[in-house]
Amino acid sequence: MKKLDDVFPHFNFPKLVLVIAVIAIALQLSGAWVTMFIAGALGALLTRRHRTAFFAGFIGVAIAWSAIFIYLSLIAQALVIAEFFIGLLGLSGLGWLVIVISVILGALLGGFGGLLGRSVVELIDELMPIETDSEETPIQDEQRDSESEPDA
Amino acid sequence: MKKKILNLGLSLVGPIALIVMLTMPIGPLSGGLGIIAPTGGIFDVGYPEPALQTVKLPGLDANVEVFFDEWGIPHIYADAVTDAYMALGYLHAKERLFQMVMQNYLAAGRISEIVGSYAASSDRYYRAIGLARGAEETYQWYLENRDTNDDIAYVLDIIDAEVAGVNTFIDSMTSATTPIEFKILGFTPQPWRPLDIFIWTKMMSWGLVGGADDLYREYAKTTIDNDTMYNDLFPDLMPYNVPIMPEQHNLSLTGYPNSAGGFPADPTPPPAANLASESESLIPIGKLKTLLDTIDDVILPFEVREGLGSNSWAVSGALSETGNPILVNDPHLPLQAPSLWYEAHIAVPGVIDVTGVSFPGIPGFVIGHGDHIAWGMTAAGYDVLDFFIEQANPDNDSQYWYNGAWREFEVVDEMIHTTDEGDIAFEVKWSVHGPCIDSVMDTFDLDSTQSPNIAMNWTGLDITHEILALSLLNKAKNITDYYDALYWWDSPPHNFIYADDEGHIAITAAGRYPLRTGYIGDRPVQALNDSVGMLSNIPYAYIPRSVDPSQGYLQSANQRSYDPETYGYDVIGPYDIGYRGRRINYLLNTSSSVSMDDMKRWQADSVDVSAQWIVPYVIDAWNAAGNGNATVQLAVDWLSDWDFSMETDIQAPTLWRFLVDALKYEIFDELRITPDANLRTPSTPVLERVIRENENYYLDDHSTGDVETRDEILTRALFRALDEMVLKLGSNITDWYYGNFHVIHFDHLASLTVIGGGPHRGWNTLNRAVSSWDNEAGQWRVVAGPSWRMVIDMGDIEHAYGVYTGGQSGNMFSQHWDDIFDLWYAYDEETEQYGYHLMRFYPTLTSIASADLSEPFVERRITFVP
Repeated sequence: MKKLDDVFPHFNFPKLVLVIAVIAIALQLSGAWVTMFIAGALGALLTRRHRTAFFAGFIGVAIAWSAIFIYLSLIAQALVIAEFFIGLLGLSGLGWLVIVISVILGALLGGFGGLLGRSVVELIDELMPIETDSEETPIQDEQRDSESEPDA
Repeated sequence: MKKKILNLGLSLVGPIALIVMLTMPIGPLSGGLGIIAPTGGIFDVGYPEPALQTVKLPGLDANVEVFFDEWGIPHIYADAVTDAYMALGYLHAKERLFQMVMQNYLAAGRISEIVGSYAASSDRYYRAIGLARGAEETYQWYLENRDTNDDIAYVLDIIDAEVAGVNTFIDSMTSATTPIEFKILGFTPQPWRPLDIFIWTKMMSWGLVGGADDLYREYAKTTIDNDTMYNDLFPDLMPYNVPIMPEQHNLSLTGYPNSAGGFPADPTPPPAANLASESESLIPIGKLKTLLDTIDDVILPFEVREGLGSNSWAVSGALSETGNPILVNDPHLPLQAPSLWYEAHIAVPGVIDVTGVSFPGIPGFVIGHGDHIAWGMTAAGYDVLDFFIEQANPDNDSQYWYNGAWREFEVVDEMIHTTDEGDIAFEVKWSVHGPCIDSVMDTFDLDSTQSPNIAMNWTGLDITHEILALSLLNKAKNITDYYDALYWWDSPPHNFIYADDEGHIAITAAGRYPLRTGYIGDRPVQALNDSVGMLSNIPYAYIPRSVDPSQGYLQSANQRSYDPETYGYDVIGPYDIGYRGRRINYLLNTSSSVSMDDMKRWQADSVDVSAQWIVPYVIDAWNAAGNGNATVQLAVDWLSDWDFSMETDIQAPTLWRFLVDALKYEIFDELRITPDANLRTPSTPVLERVIRENENYYLDDHSTGDVETRDEILTRALFRALDEMVLKLGSNITDWYYGNFHVIHFDHLASLTVIGGGPHRGWNTLNRAVSSWDNEAGQWRVVAGPSWRMVIDMGDIEHAYGVYTGGQSGNMFSQHWDDIFDLWYAYDEETEQYGYHLMRFYPTLTSIASADLSEPFVERRITFVP
């Protein structure tokens, strides 16, 4: 059985962020913020480093939620609702802050999803038996080893 | 491997922390911070409604078409009444579900389940007075009589349809249609039940009539300890009252032998009670005061503690410009967001064609018009609630003395569930007279019995038929149908004004009037046997009613409806002080050809009749005093130039409000018996009487050795008023415009937002503005007023006008959240009218579609399909 890192390709950062953003938009349409963990985790399959997984998830979901908020501001009064919400806390004129906080929270969901996903991938790969008929080149093995080092 | 597991463990820290952060209640956000995600939370509620929509409504017999006009008012076209009400139920829930749930939980004593334990005192109260229990018994009565009475079957059918419509909406709720309040509070609504409808109708009756007036009277009478003074200052019948009924119109006792609702009736009034038998001080004064304070803390959705309010009047064709009757109504209720009202129109060919305002969650229209008749309502103010002091067994407080023996209290265990402090258990004792309302408080140290023993009895606690009455009224075609419908209004009395296209006008103070035997009923009594109590009722045929009076008009403004000299029964009540009744009676009595525009103008009329009568005495007193104080002279000049209209751009109304308080303070020094007595001041008509009649005893200040004259006291009041104004409004007296200090401002049900904020005309005027001083804001806040204004010419029913204080949508981000309020609030100085919308009234699908083609007004459509 192949390891997950052997099955999924390795994307460069911009491409990875884009993929996560698209997945995040699709999953967020379900209305469940918890799915942002999944978006980040899925992104973790396409990179080999924890740090990359975190930041790609963070930025990817931030882009996704920002895009949704732009859409909502144009057609569904997102800024008005945000202003109302901040008003509940006794503040006014800071509706944009609610959206910024929301985007940051979403980004953290994506980032931590990526981090968690990467750790799960590596644990699963660790648990997998080593294939004897591996056709990987020594260079590929070396690359994987170096990229699977935890960042923190 | 260990490293990988450690990495995994460390990677879980962030997600767990985030999940906690996003789901944990933060302050008022019981739903957690997760609701600020771009979808699935608060941001889903801002989408516009689709122009065309098809909604599946299981249980329909056929498609129902709904056209929403430019105000978001639905016009519902169905082939069957149940289909129409199912659609109405769906729309009620779609637009007002949060309101429905809040109101019903409040009435059922369950509001702590939504807002937490701070509302537990209200829950205790509403459980103690037994609204839910009364509703349950009433619902059972309907079920038991369904098979034997077609009208009852009809009502239950539309109730079931309404409930089905509400529950279809609840079952189909998405994040976009879930009210934002539920998201913030983290609350999931339960299915609607027929019982909920009966609970809310009980609340409607209670809120407009119930209260603790008897307890207050007992407190005042005991504290004053001078019967002559008590009767002088707190009379049941206000001086200068103009009764509602100009000529009593009885129906046939053969046709209606019973009381309203089929209760037993006795045409012969019982003998007058022996006053001496009503002993005072049945309740220790400390307990009485604590109980009154407890009741004051209760959340009341209808009752306006500062005073009753509602106007209605009708003129016959002989007095109207068009030759047809014109009917006007504006019920004054607490202003809230969303409004108590939801406007709609239902048309089912051959069965019902009715429009007006409904209560969300309740099938039927409370006020409105059909294709032949129109009706309106005002609270009648009769006292149909008594308190009985049970004699508890000193050796066993679970018993009380009745009919010569110790009898066990029935004990009802109540459990209040709160969101923050778990369950609160308490018990309510019931005697033969009703629930002991002092169950809501701890009587320890206040009462020798140390046990609840103040039982409350009111007519609304029995099985009542108000929803049956309204359902029949909604279908009524003529005055006979009106009589038959109101026969079932056995709740506490309300004045139902009526006009039809046959030229009739009528008013009935409909309700069940108990005939009290052995006591008066104005204060708590002891009734140790069944010879004392509400033993019978006035026959429906003989209740206060007037039909096509010779004067050509009818008016009601919550004042005493009958003339005690001519009516055969005496019924007490906390009636309105009567100035609005006097004003509208004057306007109608001095007009010979009344137009629709006149009616709208009069609904906006802000002339204060009490000022008209009292202010000239104050001006005369000042002039006679010859005091050269320039500031006071300036203020008196405001009064001299004043037309007595409570307008926002002048200072005189501001001065007048302070002056009324100052006059009462200076004149009724007798009531400042003890600093903590907390007695209410006498009402303004009593003040007017004392001044007009120059009643020396009350005008004199008994705290001085001298005898003061009226002029001296009125001048002194003028100084006191101005001193108080400087204290509260600041010393820049040219800034004391009424509009700077009298604002309309009412809260969302969960205090999430407000409607209003601008200056507002009126006070105790036809354009009623119930307002009290808000120390924090330094303003009078208008909290109640004309919740719905309606003007109808019976010869042109398609062009009736209405407006209410809010908007159709309960979604505060909808364009229909407060658009109708804006119309209601917009006062046109030129026409002297507020805004109204046309109550569109097209009887068929074809006619509304055709009208929309020639002048587009349909904003969107929903087709409900089975």
